[in-house]
Amino acid sequence: MVARYIFRRILVGTVQILSLVIAVFFLIRLLPADPVSRFVGLNSSAEAYAQAERNLGLDRPLLTQLGHYLGVLPSEGPGLLQGSLGTSWVTGTPVLTEIGQALPITIELLTFAFAVALLISVPVGMLAALRPGGAADRGVFAYSLFAGSQPEFWWGLLFVYVFFFVLGWAPAPLGVLSPLTSPPPPVTGFITLDSLIAGRPDTLFEVLHHYMLPVATMVFILSGPIIKMVRQNMVRALGSDFVLYARCAGLPKGQVARYALRAAMAPSVTLIGILYGFMLGGAVLIESVFSLGGLGQYAIRSVLAFDYPAIQGVILVITAISLLVYLALDLIHAVIDPRVAYG
Amino acid sequence: MKADVAATQRTVLSVHNLRVRYDTPSGAVTPLRDFSLSIGEREVVGLIGDAGSGKSTAALAMMGLVRPPGRLISGQVLFGGQDLMEMDEDQLRALRGKDIGIIVQNPRSALNPMLRIGRQIGNVYRAHSDASAAAARDRAIEMLRLVGINDPERRVAAYAHELSGGMAQRALIAMALSSEPRLLIADEPTSGLDVTIQAQFLDQMWDSVQQTGSAILLISQDLGIIANYCDRVAVLHDGRIVEDRPARDFFAAPEHPYSRDILGLQRAAASGVARTSEPVAPGEPLVEVTALAKAFPIHGSDKVVQALQSVDLSVGPGETLGLVGESGSGKTTVGRCLLRLEEPTSGDITYRGAPISGIPKEALRAFRRKIQIVFQDPYDSLNPRWTIRRVLQEPLDLHTRLGKAEKTARIRDLLEMVGLDQALIDDKPRGLGASAMQRLNIARAIAVDPEFIVLDEPTSVLAPQAVTGLIALLRKLQKELGLSYLFISHDLTTVRFLCHRVAVMYLGQIVEVGRVGQVFEDPQHPYARALLSAHLFPDPTRRRVDQDVPESLSGEIPSPVDLPRGCYLAGRCPFAVDRCRSEAQPLVALEDGRQVRCWRVIEGDLEGAA
Amino acid sequence: MSLPADLQRAEAPPARRIDWLFWIGVSIVSVVVFLALFAPYVVPYDPTLAAHRPSMPPPALSDWPGLWWGRLTGAIEAPPHWFGTDANGFDLFSRVISAPRVDLTIALVANALSLFLGVLLGLVAGYFRNLLTEGMMRVSDVLQSFPVFISAMILVALAGRSTTNIVIALALLYTPIYIRLTRAEVMTQRVRGYVEAARALGNRESVIALRHVLPNSLAPALIQSSVTIGFAILLTAGLSFVGAGVRPPAPEWGLMISTGANQIILGEWWPSVFPGIAISLTVFGFAVLGNALERRYES
Repeated sequence: MVARYIFRRILVGTVQILSLVIAVFFLIRLLPADPVSRFVGLNSSAEAYAQAERNLGLDRPLLTQLGHYLGVLPSEGPGLLQGSLGTSWVTGTPVLTEIGQALPITIELLTFAFAVALLISVPVGMLAALRPGGAADRGVFAYSLFAGSQPEFWWGLLFVYVFFFVLGWAPAPLGVLSPLTSPPPPVTGFITLDSLIAGRPDTLFEVLHHYMLPVATMVFILSGPIIKMVRQNMVRALGSDFVLYARCAGLPKGQVARYALRAAMAPSVTLIGILYGFMLGGAVLIESVFSLGGLGQYAIRSVLAFDYPAIQGVILVITAISLLVYLALDLIHAVIDPRVAYG
Repeated sequence: MKADVAATQRTVLSVHNLRVRYDTPSGAVTPLRDFSLSIGEREVVGLIGDAGSGKSTAALAMMGLVRPPGRLISGQVLFGGQDLMEMDEDQLRALRGKDIGIIVQNPRSALNPMLRIGRQIGNVYRAHSDASAAAARDRAIEMLRLVGINDPERRVAAYAHELSGGMAQRALIAMALSSEPRLLIADEPTSGLDVTIQAQFLDQMWDSVQQTGSAILLISQDLGIIANYCDRVAVLHDGRIVEDRPARDFFAAPEHPYSRDILGLQRAAASGVARTSEPVAPGEPLVEVTALAKAFPIHGSDKVVQALQSVDLSVGPGETLGLVGESGSGKTTVGRCLLRLEEPTSGDITYRGAPISGIPKEALRAFRRKIQIVFQDPYDSLNPRWTIRRVLQEPLDLHTRLGKAEKTARIRDLLEMVGLDQALIDDKPRGLGASAMQRLNIARAIAVDPEFIVLDEPTSVLAPQAVTGLIALLRKLQKELGLSYLFISHDLTTVRFLCHRVAVMYLGQIVEVGRVGQVFEDPQHPYARALLSAHLFPDPTRRRVDQDVPESLSGEIPSPVDLPRGCYLAGRCPFAVDRCRSEAQPLVALEDGRQVRCWRVIEGDLEGAA
Repeated sequence: MSLPADLQRAEAPPARRIDWLFWIGVSIVSVVVFLALFAPYVVPYDPTLAAHRPSMPPPALSDWPGLWWGRLTGAIEAPPHWFGTDANGFDLFSRVISAPRVDLTIALVANALSLFLGVLLGLVAGYFRNLLTEGMMRVSDVLQSFPVFISAMILVALAGRSTTNIVIALALLYTPIYIRLTRAEVMTQRVRGYVEAARALGNRESVIALRHVLPNSLAPALIQSSVTIGFAILLTAGLSFVGAGVRPPAPEWGLMISTGANQIILGEWWPSVFPGIAISLTVFGFAVLGNALERRYES
């Protein structure tokens, strides 16, 4: 049953991604941007313009372009179906390769940030829930409202000013490695893992040092919604009939706490998934502040350069990963809570 | 177990001058001001009072618990000579669940949704003994069997959401009795259960407690339950016990004015104003239903829920037809189909001979004037943003051409007719009580002089004393306006008081229909018999627990998706034979004018069987 | 385990306690609205005129009273640069207080558009459930699964970096939220007793939908509005920050932070810090307001 559920979810997800890809495909071509003149310059000759248009494949009918992109027209060369996301118009490199380099950085950033944010926010949220309306709860509540509504790029800059310029604790916001360090040989693409594999703890340390501020910035932004959610779920669980009944039945304190904790966990898992998916596209600004070279920055570059294949690739990858994360967390949710049916 | 002996028995638990307060942002609420009550060994004490009067607060307080943000302010709770208010948390914990058990009114929400019930029962048992996990599991199975759950070895693995309400309540009582407490507090244990299930459950609880030797504090709003199971009655009103007497004395001659209020309907019914003796109004039927069927398709499946099947009924001018049955019997769907709020799958509905079913929506709107409905939940039936004036003006705007002043006059008339203060006209209904809101709903229903009103459980959410007033109002309006009613209810006491004829429904079919006197005094169909015998009439002189209850229905109601081939009751009926299981049953008239859907009754097989 | 109904809501901290927070929210939002309306009449300098010495730090805090006094008495002729000047020689104070006219207008108009569209479509989709409206929901689903910031970037960059395009992009991206919220509420309201009662009285479906269901289904969308306005401000600023928003020299907070970003590593904090504080407080103000509304709706 679980396998069938996963299969169905993946099927639905694929349809969703496909419709999204097609929607994006038409959307960017319907908007009044002119990528050709962006590449050849505004004052180029008509011939040069036509030549560039041909090179980019924009002279063909829209449906042919779509067919090519999807990979259903063998005469046009490989497309989505063959596992190709096309070639970047700016660099001439396959989009898949470029995303393959950028994505691990974003995932590392998000994973560190979520790990730290959860470590801090979950206990804080639960503490606040112990005495709803108490002084601690009110303070935590105001904080979570504040942190949940902040311009992350500005806080990033502020952190840079304080921790890099004034205190000198952090490295300059110029990527995940200082320009003088040679990166470890890529194995997984994740630079922290690769440093470990290459047996270079100093590089690992340096990477972590560079991640310090961007992660801190993201933790700050994430802590708002996570604390709020944990607090709310915990208050609800502690106030639930079955926790009260467990006390009525004289269960030991620890056991009552475990009852409540499990009940509070279940809905939190789903929300964290949604947040993770949201931040995949939301890390753009933080990556930009710290020049991390992740997927977000790749998106900015592609959009500003009207690099259509790259734009399509980014959207596709982000959506696909979000859907997979949702699926994984829904499965975890079902393990925690037997009421969730696979249906 | 006689009530008069109770006083000489040893006391299990006594509460003295208890005061509980909730500090809320909008001010302090003190549901218990000066609450005192004692319960003797093996005694069954009933605690009654309005909804929100603090009964549940009292139940929790007796275990030294309050729901936050409440606080126990003062008083004593003495158990075995010790004051719970002075115990520390560990002592209390050891006491709760071991010496005092509790069951509550929403059993499914009181069970942990994430743990199997066997595990939960085991956890409670282990909290109060040094049993091993395996022993706890055995105990859980043993307890589930004790409380009458079939196949307990399999049921221990169930989760709360997989259990029906009755099952979950049994699981809860299994948990509460696992350590053989000296006192069991049962806080409205059967609210939300169907009558036949309720009787099964209460009988089972009574038996189980006889075996474990616990005393019971039975909290209920239902006087029938109190009269049938309790030795002594305590009345909670205004934060204190205003009356505390043996059950027989209480029902014979209540002393406190509030108690008399509560007993109002029962006394009115007993004093002979019930409809049982009145003749059925003659003449052409006003509304006639033939072969009505309704099936709801199940989303994402080709199966259907058979809500109604071949329902025939008619209501004459000035007549009240009662429609009784348990939840899921389809009685509400009948009412909704009559107004075409639900489109019937097949069958005919006529009004004064003219068809209602199958006519286009435009033509239907004119009928709306003649046929109205009052719903179960008075609060839900009123647009929360509208004033009373606007609510009552809506039907006038739709169906009359009155001027503004005439409308206002009519609205004032209507308010007067249903006994509401005319000064409220520009208020929002939000501040009204449930009973006043229901009067407003009735006023809206009669605003454009209908002839026929469907009353869909109009009293089920009202407090007992409010029910009396509302039934009286309905009878008054019927007399003054010549209305016909279809009165849908599961409360047999009100049906008896308001209806001329009654139809008993089970799983979408009418199984018996006849005059109220006939059906109530001598039910024929096995289901009608079970329903009536399960109904707890508030009369402590004929307690259910003092008599041999005739063999009744067993098991649970089958799903309306997979209905049995033969008689729908066959799986639960004590009289079922093979023919019942294979043959669908038609509704056949008996000599005395009533109709019954059971071949054994028609052939006279069951005479004297009950 | 019933309790008097008014006691059962122990979830959020009691309203009374949080009142001071609510008033902070109201004051912030009032100031921002005031500036959006009247900033042109109170600015000391033209916010789009780079006519000052670049990169001047703001006066030290200890000098502020003296400067105030000087201005009041007329001893100082030119208004001081309270927040300093940026690398291009703009007066930062004038720019910071002029920005609400850009940021708030974009946010309010975009929100109004998506609110109107979303509520209308949500009402239709929730009340009349048929193939057409279900199809509409699927489209809305697809729209909602776009990564918001990147999509906004694409829309604005490719359609042209103008205020109108930012408004349209945001409105488009926020509409699905309102459709969802309203549809969900409509679906709970349409089975309520008062709707049935209205039908039993002989009302037309369209009348029931508009007069009974719509007014009772607005609350979730209206509460969301406050949150959306806040996020729209953040998004507008974010777009400018990466160069896909309004064009310089328009006074816009994100643009100002972006301009200052290069100097902050060199220790020139003021060009970024002041507009940042402004965004931070503004969005917080709207969040607090939204929360207060939510609380009121729930109680």
